[in-house]
Amino acid sequence: MKNINRYGYFFIAPFWLVFLVFSIYPVALTFYYSFTNYTGSGEAQLVGLANYKRLLTDTYFVEAFFNTWKIWGVNFALQMGLALILAMIFSDMRIKLKGIAFFRSIFYLPNLITISSVALLFGILLDWQHGSLNMMLMKLGIISDPINWLNEPTSAQLSVSLILTWMWFGHSFIVVMAGVSGISKDYYEAALIDGANRWQTFSKITIPLLKPILLYIMITSLIGGLQLFDLPMLLTDGIGSPDGSLNTMVLYLYNQAFKYNNYGYAAAVAYGLFVITLIFSAFIFKGMYGKERKQPRQV
Amino acid sequence: MKRKLSIFLVSILLVGLFAGCSSDSKTSGNGKKDVDLRIWSFTDELKKPIKTFEEKNGVKVELTIVPIADYPTKLKPVLESGVGAPDVFTGEIAFLKQWVDAGYWENLSEKPYNADKLSDKYVPYVFDLGKDKDGDVRALSWQTTPGGIYYKRSIAKEVLGTDDPTQVGEMMSSMDKVFEVADKMKAKGYSMFPDEGAIRWFTQGDNPQPWVNDKNELQLTDEKMEYMDYSKKLRNNQYTALAPEWSPSWFEGMDKPIKVKEGGKEKETQVFSYVLPTWGLHSVLKTNVKESVGDWAVTSGPSPYFWGGTWLGVYNKSDNKELAYKFVKMMTQDDEFLTSWSKETGDVLSYLPVTETIKDDFSDKFLGGQNNYQFFLDQSTKITPGIVTKYDQQLDTLYGNAVQQYVTGKKSKKEAIKEFYQKAHNAYPDIKVPKK
Amino acid sequence: MIGKTAVDNSLSNSVQKKSVIETKPKRKISIPKLLIYALLIAMAIVCFIPFLMMLVNATRSNEAILSGFTLIPGSALVENYQTMMSYINIWAGFKNSLFISVLVTLLSGYFSALTAYGFAFYVFKGKNAMFVFMLVMMMVPGQLGLIGFYELCKNLGILDTYIPLIIPAAASPFVVFFLRQYILTTLHPSLIEAARIDGASEFKIFHTIAIPIMMPAIATMSIFTFIGSWNNYIMPLVVLFSPEKFTLPVLMGFLKGSQVAQNLGSMYLGIAISVVPIMVAFLFLSKYIVNSISAGSIKE
Repeated sequence: MKNINRYGYFFIAPFWLVFLVFSIYPVALTFYYSFTNYTGSGEAQLVGLANYKRLLTDTYFVEAFFNTWKIWGVNFALQMGLALILAMIFSDMRIKLKGIAFFRSIFYLPNLITISSVALLFGILLDWQHGSLNMMLMKLGIISDPINWLNEPTSAQLSVSLILTWMWFGHSFIVVMAGVSGISKDYYEAALIDGANRWQTFSKITIPLLKPILLYIMITSLIGGLQLFDLPMLLTDGIGSPDGSLNTMVLYLYNQAFKYNNYGYAAAVAYGLFVITLIFSAFIFKGMYGKERKQPRQV
Repeated sequence: MKRKLSIFLVSILLVGLFAGCSSDSKTSGNGKKDVDLRIWSFTDELKKPIKTFEEKNGVKVELTIVPIADYPTKLKPVLESGVGAPDVFTGEIAFLKQWVDAGYWENLSEKPYNADKLSDKYVPYVFDLGKDKDGDVRALSWQTTPGGIYYKRSIAKEVLGTDDPTQVGEMMSSMDKVFEVADKMKAKGYSMFPDEGAIRWFTQGDNPQPWVNDKNELQLTDEKMEYMDYSKKLRNNQYTALAPEWSPSWFEGMDKPIKVKEGGKEKETQVFSYVLPTWGLHSVLKTNVKESVGDWAVTSGPSPYFWGGTWLGVYNKSDNKELAYKFVKMMTQDDEFLTSWSKETGDVLSYLPVTETIKDDFSDKFLGGQNNYQFFLDQSTKITPGIVTKYDQQLDTLYGNAVQQYVTGKKSKKEAIKEFYQKAHNAYPDIKVPKK
Repeated sequence: MIGKTAVDNSLSNSVQKKSVIETKPKRKISIPKLLIYALLIAMAIVCFIPFLMMLVNATRSNEAILSGFTLIPGSALVENYQTMMSYINIWAGFKNSLFISVLVTLLSGYFSALTAYGFAFYVFKGKNAMFVFMLVMMMVPGQLGLIGFYELCKNLGILDTYIPLIIPAAASPFVVFFLRQYILTTLHPSLIEAARIDGASEFKIFHTIAIPIMMPAIATMSIFTFIGSWNNYIMPLVVLFSPEKFTLPVLMGFLKGSQVAQNLGSMYLGIAISVVPIMVAFLFLSKYIVNSISAGSIKE
């Protein structure tokens, strides 16, 4: 038996080899660089905590932090709202809608497209003077003056939020539906008998039972959201204009490292981002496990 | 469903693997055996010279074009690591300074190149810009790139009563006069410029200073600050066609009227003039204009300026330096090639032995027979060379952004400038920024 | 051409469904229900309209696009294609992306199964510690190691190759985690014991018994891995330099700065080419993908 168990090491060895070289070592190396003034070439000199001190007082990092949250928050609210409304409609036993497979596919479609294609596409669709969107809206008489979507901080952030919603609500909808279909029909039948209305059924039965699923969506969405990069990078000139409103944390990291060659500082930014992700994930995890005990059951 | 899926997945697998294999064999075959010389650049303007070079020497050259926005970020790691690196690469003025000092280019002042001997054969500022901080030549250029204003003769005649370059130039010899002309243009439904960005070169021309001086201080001259007001005036008075540089409508406006939506109305307007340097003629105007050929002319603006310019040199880790330098030599010192190149394209050369012989009887059909050569050579003598720094590209972007903020009314002038200082300091913590 | 048929397909598809929807429940069709359908169809249209604009504009000339908006296709498709191809070889990007994504999916699937099996069915020193460490590393965002990763590739001399994009897939903690949970519930140890008694070697047992049982879970994860790799933007952007090696997402970013951007029609066409094959593939696989997403979240 002992002999056989030794095989365990063989099975996990390739994984750990690759993991050590390509995941752990870079993370450790980045940690080392965060204490240096490395510029991408030449020698790295240790500078102590200077980079972290700068990070704490860096208004642009703070700005990037809030931008990321704003963009993600609006998107998440919309995306979850849509997904829940759709799930409510499709799961309602009194309506019995047809065509769920079709709508699910159509709603999911935008999620499959390479995000850089999406960014490029919206970049030209949203163009101020000659974008198809403004032209269409003007033709329909909805607006009289073209809107410079990507030039106004608020509308630029909103545009990014909406694009993210467009990309992700179908995904959330599918996941929520999967959760809903796992809820026993008995609950709903009991509610029907008790004479609960739609909203009561939804808020008292569906939502509480869906909590683990909702938290799952929230965590994955948050981790993805904090790493928002492609859209702002490609929708703007790459530095997050207008007025720094699309400057996200990862875009800031990218620019510091690969544009301004401040590798050492960028490494500190990366660790700042890490700590932030860790804190928020911990909060959500706490919420998840804390609440789960009170729930009847949900696999 | 399962079967359909597995058939689909397997076919994707096969296609993917097959694609990979074929591309692998192709690149390795091409890369190592067939190609004698690799060149990287940010425009396609070297395509023709490369063909000439291939025919002359019986070699195969591979040209890689990387869009200018990505060029420095892509090229730097390649040069740093030497992996997949070119033998010859070009540099644009915006990042030239950074590169000549970085030592990626072979020192051309040494043997066997002895480029120092060539110094008096070039327009001085062009030759000097190719030197590193120790005064060694790293890169050479075939062109000089002073700028002017290209305008449409027919519109000038209609609105200003003349299409003569000297007279039109006189009418635009100061910013105030430019606005007078712009007003006349607007009265007749024309747009003076495609957008506000067009005038940026003139405001620094009055008092050309480098972005960062030798004390490592950021310098935002009064003239550059005034540029903000000029830009705002252009926007507020609706003097432009709102077509940002390099955008599709910017190109479209060269030949045809374009639509502008402003103040709740849509109007169609024709653009009167484009502010472009020498190369703007052959690589921008000529390639995009079809209908108005011959209706153009070039004249001087409120102040002289230069914009861009391509330098090229030999990569210091190249395996094939001899051939690489041969190409550099053809591009920068070959009388025969350069004569035909300039006649064909209208590019203004910095290589004096050739310019001396061709400048007098030069005329360009595109410009209605105007001698643009003489004009630009005169302009090039007015250029102050010492204003190029390694920070230019990023600082230009940041400042352009600040101006945009002011023009669109997001920020007051003071706020916009303050933010520019902060951003500049954030990108380059080592440069000193005025505390205002 | 591909683009057009895809649109026709999905359009006719939606029309078909619509008629099905409107005719079938004829017996008792209530007003609120109709409203809901109208709303859903409106949402579907919103989802689809950017694609529609893209496809229409891909066939129109730059001049036409600048002068106004319409949904009537133009006739400049061929010119747009030629303009685009003279600057950027989009099919090469496709090929590169496909090659990388396929290898990544294979590597990730196989090695994750291997690791998951090792974690699930053997008892060895440090197993739990390693597993927990792996879970902790799962929380680390990808960008954290970006700079170190870049330096590592530089030192190993593998910049501008596909190695840094493919090999790391052999260590995908999330897939390992998922597969381990799966195989613990689906593969009974007695089956392995029986095989051992028959004299099968450990690796043979893995290949002939464990892999087939894990296949559904591997397929589910493969879809995510494939989509993730296909959409990966920042890694290839940082690691690859030579334009002929660019993957599709990087090439798309490239398009913006290149001369293609002067011509809106070509620009739209380039985007359309990057998008349409995925849409077609999705038409065939939509049911399966949707099920995978559901499974992925529930098993969590």
